[in-house]
Amino acid sequence: MDDDREQSLADAFADLLDRRSTAHPPELAGELAALSEIDRVLEPAPPLPGRLSGHTIVGEIGAGGMGRVLLAVDEALGRKVAIKTLAPRYAGDAGLRARFMDEARAMARVNHPNVARIYSLGPAEEPPHFVMEYLAGASLTAAAARLDFREKAELMAKVALAAHFLHDQGIVHRDLKPANILVDADLEPKLLDFGLALDLAGEEHRASLGQVAGTPEYLSPEQAAARPLDGRSDVFSLGAILYELLTGAPPFHGDTVSDLLRAIREEEPALPRRRAPGVPRDLQNICLKALEKDPAGRYASAREMADDLRRFLAGETVLAEPAAYARLIAGKVGQHLRDLESWRHDQVVSEAEYDGIRKRYERLIEREDAWIMEARRLTLPQVTLYLGAWVLAVGAAFLTFFSYPALAGAPAIAAAWAAAIPSAWLGIRHWNRGNSRVAIGFLLAFCLVTPIAALATAQEAHIFTAVTQGQLRLEIFHRLDFAKQATNAQLWWSLLTALPVCWLLRRFTRAPVFSLMFATYAALLCLATLLRMGMLDWLDHDPGRFYFHLLPCALLFLAAGFIFERRRLPDDSRYFYPFAVAFTWAALSGVAAFHEPYARWLNSVLPWTRGQVEYLFIANAAIYFSLDRLCRLQSSPQLRLVGHAFRFVIPGHVMTSLFLLGLDAQSHAEARAFEWTLPAVACVFVFASIPRQMKNFFASGLLFLAIGAYRLQQQVFPGRAFWPVALLAAGLALMLIAGNYAPLKVTLARSLKKFRLP
Amino acid sequence: MVSPTSTFDLLEQAKNGDREALSRAFEKHRRRLAVLAHFKLGSRTPEFADAEDVVQETCLRAFRDIGHFSYQSPGSFFRWLSAIADHVIVDRVRYRNRECRAGEEVRFRSETNPLGPEPADTKTPSRLLAQREAIERLLDRLNALPEDYRQAILMAKIERLSTAEMAVRLNKPRDAVALLVYRAVKRFRELSDASEA
Repeated sequence: MDDDREQSLADAFADLLDRRSTAHPPELAGELAALSEIDRVLEPAPPLPGRLSGHTIVGEIGAGGMGRVLLAVDEALGRKVAIKTLAPRYAGDAGLRARFMDEARAMARVNHPNVARIYSLGPAEEPPHFVMEYLAGASLTAAAARLDFREKAELMAKVALAAHFLHDQGIVHRDLKPANILVDADLEPKLLDFGLALDLAGEEHRASLGQVAGTPEYLSPEQAAARPLDGRSDVFSLGAILYELLTGAPPFHGDTVSDLLRAIREEEPALPRRRAPGVPRDLQNICLKALEKDPAGRYASAREMADDLRRFLAGETVLAEPAAYARLIAGKVGQHLRDLESWRHDQVVSEAEYDGIRKRYERLIEREDAWIMEARRLTLPQVTLYLGAWVLAVGAAFLTFFSYPALAGAPAIAAAWAAAIPSAWLGIRHWNRGNSRVAIGFLLAFCLVTPIAALATAQEAHIFTAVTQGQLRLEIFHRLDFAKQATNAQLWWSLLTALPVCWLLRRFTRAPVFSLMFATYAALLCLATLLRMGMLDWLDHDPGRFYFHLLPCALLFLAAGFIFERRRLPDDSRYFYPFAVAFTWAALSGVAAFHEPYARWLNSVLPWTRGQVEYLFIANAAIYFSLDRLCRLQSSPQLRLVGHAFRFVIPGHVMTSLFLLGLDAQSHAEARAFEWTLPAVACVFVFASIPRQMKNFFASGLLFLAIGAYRLQQQVFPGRAFWPVALLAAGLALMLIAGNYAPLKVTLARSLKKFRLP
Repeated sequence: MVSPTSTFDLLEQAKNGDREALSRAFEKHRRRLAVLAHFKLGSRTPEFADAEDVVQETCLRAFRDIGHFSYQSPGSFFRWLSAIADHVIVDRVRYRNRECRAGEEVRFRSETNPLGPEPADTKTPSRLLAQREAIERLLDRLNALPEDYRQAILMAKIERLSTAEMAVRLNKPRDAVALLVYRAVKRFRELSDASEA
């Protein structure tokens, strides 16, 4: 706009203000309207009417945007009454007037001790008003100021029940706030203004948000977004009120109305305990559950909220477990992980610490759902649920392993499946109803019982009866002569049936526990495969062969974990790696201890080792070291943990072997060599703990250093005072060096420089 | 704004000892006075309690000193009240730690003090509060304005100065004052629109 034009508008405006002119240039309409709002807000209160509905008006109790509440005396009955009037500027609006009266009629239907009663409706010829019960009391926040948390909870439970009563009558209050809840001297709350101010405010809300009657601090997100409402909107307001009772301030704040409404729609409230540390955790949970943004996440009704408050009062476990926590955790974790990343970069934390913290956080994030948290809590229903699943599985196992004359043949199959099928059905039913915690219990039971039932079926139906390699002695059940006989093949096939079940349940529920089940069954299947290959025979005659055959199993699981992790399925890979590590440990140790060709090969290549087992264990340590190196080449965090597990066992392998070799030495020189090597290697491990922060390197190094010193004492310096004195001196020297580490290092560096310069 | 009698008539009756009339005259200016006091207190919060104290105190002093007031023009009563409010605010600062109030000299009307001023605010504690939420929203918006714009609106709408009077007080030409007021109101309107959006 050019300056001249603006000046002329400004002059016209000034003339209007000074009442020198009354001409309204249309461009100024908005400005004039904004100014007239100031006048309207600041205009003095209109005088009190003399009488309404035959009652003498004696004063004003309060007023809001929509009208006033007057104090009057009902002279006939000699009691005080409150009269609610509609502001004169709305009285002319026939629609608003009709609604005002409609709401009064609706209110008249409600008869509840915690809801203010209406006595009569003003006659048509008088200004619109109705006569209500007069309540002497303080507003909820004023009344609650000196109450303890239990009394506050009791008060809120009454308020919530009263709100539920309204909902049952088809009335959504929509303006629950402390000012609308009066509390009398007996701590009985009374709801005022229900439906009425709110419905009218709703009307106005659509017209102009700036004039919402009442403060919007207790509005629900759906009110703030002008979406359809139901009773759960009031539940949110109850949550906001409870929040204020607990912490002294409403949950959401904003510098302007629109800021506040945005905060209500988008922001999570600060945890009440953050604001007031004394708030009981259960009350905080109840409050946050009522304040969930999504109505479906809140209490389904005000009564449920009241019930939970009562549970708190009765000292029982409340049901509230707000998802807000989990979201909070996820949000905070992301931030903290970024911090950690930079700390690691600056070497404030070691790689190992970083990995460890990261691992723990990933587990936290994984539990994104409230039900998972709940499922991990040991509560009576939870314990009972899993006890039931376990008893079910044990019962089914008995059916398979022992023969019962009354349950032979088809009845045994029927009994086993009678346990499996209903648990699947009930699990899916609970899942579809959103009762995830219970559903997982049933589905886990199904997962456990399926292979058992399949085995029972195979036994009784006589399928897969072929004996392994035609030899009965290769059958595992043949060795268990107390058990009902099943073949290795039947075992193998029934384990195989469990795999797709686990896989499907993992896909269906996305619960990682089924990945664990899958990995477990796969490991058992590996062992069953070895059984069918003649494992029992190997164990009898050549155990090394069995351990040798564990190696492919280890590789299989390692590959599975690696592939899953690569495909960004860390919740699946997580359960394969531990099996891979366990198989590797068992296989390598077993091969070293029992595999004769291995020892013979060593003996032929390095005759001085005489093929002793200890050298093979040292060789295993070297293998673990290279495996660790390989794992570290990969960027995946889980594979690093696998490497860590391998690295973990290295010092034990090496130093125990050296110790045993020393004990077992064939010649004087050999004995001396090992007696000196052991403490030296122990020192190496002590210092090797530094770069990767391996505490077990440090601890086992110290232990074996002491053992080595003892061996030297016994074998090399028997009765020589020199040895303990040397140890004392060495210890003192090391501590002195550590105490003056920095200056010593500088001096050393300088003298090295001097040494080099000439 | 419908008043049974003009401020002038009310004040004439008040000077003749009709305390009720003074009460009613005061009531007409009560909210504007409160808003003005709020900003004179330098408060940046929408908390209104301090301003209400000042208004209460101003009311008591007005009852005490009504004999010294002489009516000159339609705005003079409010200007007189606003000058009293200035004194009250200065005294509040001066005696911040001491309770030194005219309330000790002039008490509201009661059985022992039948000639005291009509306690409009004791009978109806929410007279001023009645529109409190609306007033606080208004204060929010005024607070969001730059200082000179806020002063312009306070002068024009609360003190009800004409642009000529403002020109004298601000020592600026009337053109400039008109532009300032216009821009201030324009910004104020934008804020109002924004808070409704």
